[in-house]
Amino acid sequence: MKPAAAPSPWRDPVVLLAVPALLYLVLLYALPLLWLLAKSFVGADGLTLRPYVDFFADPFNWRVVWNTLGIALWVTLVCLVIGYPAAFALARAGAALQIAMLVAIILPLSVGVVVKSFAWQIVLRRDGVISQFLVGIGLWDEPQRLLFTETGLVLGAANIFLPFMILPIYSVVKLIDPRLLEAGATLGAAPLYRFVKIMLPLTLPGVVSGIAFVFSMSVSMYVIPSLLIGDRFQTLSTLTGRSFLFMRNEQLGSTTAVILLALAIGVVVGSSWLARRLGSSA
Amino acid sequence: MTIPTPADTVSVPAFLDVAGAEKAFGAATVLGGVDLGVAQGEFVSLLGPSGCGKTTLLRIVAGLLGVDRGTVRLDGKDITALPPHRRDVGVVFQNYALFPHLTVAENVAFGLKAHRRGAAEIREAVKRFLDLVHLADFADRSVRALSGGQQQRVAVARALAVRPKLLLLDEPFSALDRKLREAMQIDLRRLLRELGTTSVFVTHDQEEALTMSDRIAVMNRGAIEQLDTPEAIYRRPATAFALEFVGLSSRLAGTALGTENGLVHVDTAFGRLVAPGNFVKGAPVLLAVRPERIKVDAPGDFALTARLRDAVFQGSKVQLHFDTRAGDQLMVETADLPQGVPTPGTEMKLGWAVADTLLYPAP
Repeated sequence: MKPAAAPSPWRDPVVLLAVPALLYLVLLYALPLLWLLAKSFVGADGLTLRPYVDFFADPFNWRVVWNTLGIALWVTLVCLVIGYPAAFALARAGAALQIAMLVAIILPLSVGVVVKSFAWQIVLRRDGVISQFLVGIGLWDEPQRLLFTETGLVLGAANIFLPFMILPIYSVVKLIDPRLLEAGATLGAAPLYRFVKIMLPLTLPGVVSGIAFVFSMSVSMYVIPSLLIGDRFQTLSTLTGRSFLFMRNEQLGSTTAVILLALAIGVVVGSSWLARRLGSSA
Repeated sequence: MTIPTPADTVSVPAFLDVAGAEKAFGAATVLGGVDLGVAQGEFVSLLGPSGCGKTTLLRIVAGLLGVDRGTVRLDGKDITALPPHRRDVGVVFQNYALFPHLTVAENVAFGLKAHRRGAAEIREAVKRFLDLVHLADFADRSVRALSGGQQQRVAVARALAVRPKLLLLDEPFSALDRKLREAMQIDLRRLLRELGTTSVFVTHDQEEALTMSDRIAVMNRGAIEQLDTPEAIYRRPATAFALEFVGLSSRLAGTALGTENGLVHVDTAFGRLVAPGNFVKGAPVLLAVRPERIKVDAPGDFALTARLRDAVFQGSKVQLHFDTRAGDQLMVETADLPQGVPTPGTEMKLGWAVADTLLYPAP
């Protein structure tokens, strides 16, 4: 979020090309955000931390925070487990197959989240595909509903955010010289050792940025939980939405928004710091 | 690492023994039944143009590529089916393939760690091999901060540190500039000789092969055309391809007029010439002489007269090019021009010994 620490812009005028983007972000994004943020710190009699004290005094709100973090962690984990091998397949595929795979990954991004969430509602129903399949192979005794469960939410959200895990890892894998693995082999390293000591460290920067993408998107998702799990399960996003839309409690909304923002920034800054550290040793 | 059983060693003459190696990619045959024997401690170059199969052969020996047919034996053991990490064959790659996330010392230690050697042994070996390639001061640097020549030395140290039975080098000097390349060739050759490492070296650069090798395998179209010492290959190229690929030569197309007492009389654009060999009357042939074997104005066994087209002064010697029929080439290298460099257009008498004349079937 903060501008990159670059050498003095007066020495490298190319840096000035960021000015339009910077103006746009500051005027239309950062200022309204600051205004929102400020609201949560302003009480009837001046500056206050009251909203935060109140928020964390309520055990329900702690549940909301844990819900938010837990779902985001699960979604990120599922995306990582599915996306890491997929990124390798994508990077090593032949030209035609690679284009087909890229289209298959990127094209669904143009289908709106609302449409995809409704599609997942059909899949996750008691008589949906997953339930029927699991009953069919005998894993389940009777049809069950996955819709409006945490499992269903994780499945749906992971599907929607998967491209944001695959693409950064793919872009890193693509740049790794395949001869590094051959060099490892001729030095006596077995396949697993080669993966752990060569491939894993070299792909870590991609993994870290994939995690940052998926985590920050799933920690703040609003439409997907609204449609796949409903009001029963509150996250910081849905609570923020409710505060503004239904409860008309702007201060609570601002407070939850600030907490959510702090969490997201924590993850993004933390992971980019990690990426730079790994990158400099890599 | 393994002690060869007597049954294994008796039948195997060479330390590295490639027998009947065949490889095709789709319809294209890259290797057509190649045999190669390398003695222990020997340095053998695979020399040939790109696409001749030399890199394919190297990758097969390393285990990075399978053979369609044939066997690879190393130190008496059949390694044809072994994966690369169990072969004890080190490789220095053309682009070095250094691990970018590791320091110089960690790169050199990689193989030792993979072999689960003790920490003290690893530390000692890393120090020793970095000393050998004069990089002791760079141990903790990132490999990305090194120059091309330094990276190449790290790659050599990394491959040698595990003490492989065989070291393969895939054009390791091709990315370096000429001066550095020559210094490093001599350095590497000395290092490998001191360690007694058996080495196979892939190159398309004939000077490099001549400088470094105990023996050279001249490869063309997936086959070894000649395997011999650099001197023998230069003096007595076995085929017209070996003649052309190694060193310079004067070449005249001709027709055999018949063989008498082991000497073939050949009709060429410069009249009738004689060469040792055996060809039937009417056979199209290629007659060749190395340029430094030709004497100017001091006829050997026979002489011909040719008109100078161009004289190239090269310091220690002068290269003289003469007018010929299209396809022929007549050139002389000499240091002995008492009257100075002649002007183009001069008619000059050239002569050489019959024994220096090479004769091949027309390619």
